[in-house]
Amino acid sequence: MTQLPLGVRLRDSATFAAFEPGSNGTALAWLRARCGAAGADRAWLWGAAGSGRTHLLEAACHAAEEAGQRAIYLTPEVVAAAPEAALEGLEYCSLVALDDCGRVAGQRDVEFALFDLCNRLGERGGMLLLAADAPPLTYPWLLADLASRLAAATVFRLHALDDAGKLAALQRRARLRGLELPAATARFILGRADRHPEALFRLLDDLDEASLAAQRRLTIPFVRGLIGRQAAP
Amino acid sequence: MDSAVWRKCLDHLQDELSTQQFNTWIRPLQAVERDSEIRLLAPNVYVRDQVSNRFMDRISELVGSLAPRNGATRVELTVGSSDTPATPAATGAEPHRGAVQAAPTFKSELNPEFTFASFVEGKSNELAKAAAIQVAENAGRSYNPLLLYGGVGLGKTHLMQAVGNLVLARDRSARVVYLHSQRFVQDMVKALQQGTMQDFMSYYRSVSALLIDDIQFFANKLRSQEEFFHVFNSLLEGGRQMVLTCDRYPREIDGLEERLKSRFVWGLTVAVEPPELEHRVAILMKKAEQEGVDLQQEVAFFIAERIRSNVRELEGALKRVIANAQFTGRKINIEQVRLALRDLLAIQERQVGIDNIQRRVAEYYKIKIADLLSKRRNRAVARPRQVAMCLAKELTSHSLPEIGDAFGGRDHTTVLHACRKVAELRSTSTDLAEDYKNLVRLLTT
Repeated sequence: MTQLPLGVRLRDSATFAAFEPGSNGTALAWLRARCGAAGADRAWLWGAAGSGRTHLLEAACHAAEEAGQRAIYLTPEVVAAAPEAALEGLEYCSLVALDDCGRVAGQRDVEFALFDLCNRLGERGGMLLLAADAPPLTYPWLLADLASRLAAATVFRLHALDDAGKLAALQRRARLRGLELPAATARFILGRADRHPEALFRLLDDLDEASLAAQRRLTIPFVRGLIGRQAAP
Repeated sequence: MDSAVWRKCLDHLQDELSTQQFNTWIRPLQAVERDSEIRLLAPNVYVRDQVSNRFMDRISELVGSLAPRNGATRVELTVGSSDTPATPAATGAEPHRGAVQAAPTFKSELNPEFTFASFVEGKSNELAKAAAIQVAENAGRSYNPLLLYGGVGLGKTHLMQAVGNLVLARDRSARVVYLHSQRFVQDMVKALQQGTMQDFMSYYRSVSALLIDDIQFFANKLRSQEEFFHVFNSLLEGGRQMVLTCDRYPREIDGLEERLKSRFVWGLTVAVEPPELEHRVAILMKKAEQEGVDLQQEVAFFIAERIRSNVRELEGALKRVIANAQFTGRKINIEQVRLALRDLLAIQERQVGIDNIQRRVAEYYKIKIADLLSKRRNRAVARPRQVAMCLAKELTSHSLPEIGDAFGGRDHTTVLHACRKVAELRSTSTDLAEDYKNLVRLLTT
């Protein structure tokens, strides 16, 4: 087990390396190849909550920054607060990521601002990366011009991880932290804890800290004790 | 100052803030080392203000504690990009747009890939292409303005920029400016705010050719229309070429001044129609060739038969197919296309098709589908047929010739006549208006 200084949590979550591809290998490979590369591009990632949309958007921003480029991650709330002001000048970013973007459909001001940004980014060669829970044309866009531009994006459907995928994801995250998470322990966790990926990764954070504090390996008895304490009222 | 200070500061902020806060407000900041201070460049005024209000105290504190003992600890936050000169923080001005600067530099913003050579010609756009070439070869002396209109994603912008690129190729000193109408409006608003309208107007009045995309966005923006009207007149009088695009015939734009409507169609106005099947196939083959991908014709037909609305969607579908093939190692064939596009195709199938419209209309009027497709012209059959044709035009993206074909091989002018007739009857006959409304509801819910 790797020793970590107390009070420091590893920020391993929002990178491509921490993403367990499952059946989303094409989207991951495409993003790895395009983020940080030059040239205008537009991609639309869609899938149910927990399928890794936000992770990939944040990882793309991280990758762009690593490549020396400027990137920004936006949510509908940030954009809707001041559509034109929030998106102004973002064509000078190499990557603009807008999460949960289906929620801006039907908001005229936001659609106009987004349409304008699409054009500006296209002219300057930047990438627009969008995530939503459905494909582009299933939303009630008011601007046909925006809808057609979004429909021209490279669209990827993201599928939530199955149990085998979640097991691999847990082990991948643990490995990135220098933790050894035996398959039997990972299966034990999956059998007893909330299996939503976010909840699982939060549990891994807790296990990481607890194992460090107790100087124990992630054995089933140790994990059982922690899950038991968390479940206790 | 040691630039590592900002890196360390980032590490701390990443620990302290939520991932979303970090990615939205902190990650887009660029740090520039300058004398004894760190200048943080925000991409726009909005981000700058948010960072200033919410995080600046902590950033200053962190920089103060992380800087070497004898280093300066001043942090300045401003709007800008490390690629372009930043503006003084006090003005809050947005530094990127050349068009509103006092001494503007001519930046065409033309995409060099949009040329006539890379434009795929078909029946739906051959007239528009011929007109565009004519205009490019005789800029300012031929049709002025050239106005291209039609639905979204049909290649209007491509043709317009091809004009600009050809004008530039023939005369490298030509000042060709391409911009979207919204950009014109935004730059004008900024010029008004900054008191630089004189420069703004001089800039546009001095170009050799002005290409403005999507002029329908001028609707309801009266001041912009007023200024554009002056620019327009000035350029036309000076024999400078103007090319405009619009998503509909300009006379149909609500909220556009009559004098602009009439001026827009002074020169030559050409429609760009949705591409037909063979044209869509040709477009796919050309795009695939540009991407260096081998696309068999039968595969192109398979995609083109299913994606009918516009070229952008066609391109989007091809991109998905290519990405899937590249990253899964599969060869592009019909099976692979089916797999790569399965979500898209499922949605398409749920959408309204001509077959579906014919079936519903026949049921509604209690006639046979065969009657709709027949040559019979008595009113009991002819009227439902006209309604069905009109619905097909309104609810599907098929071209008029395709709709005509689907109704027993009729001419596209018959479809046009049917649409006009139904529009007229809907305003004079409450029965027909009711029928039409019911059918739309049946078909779209």
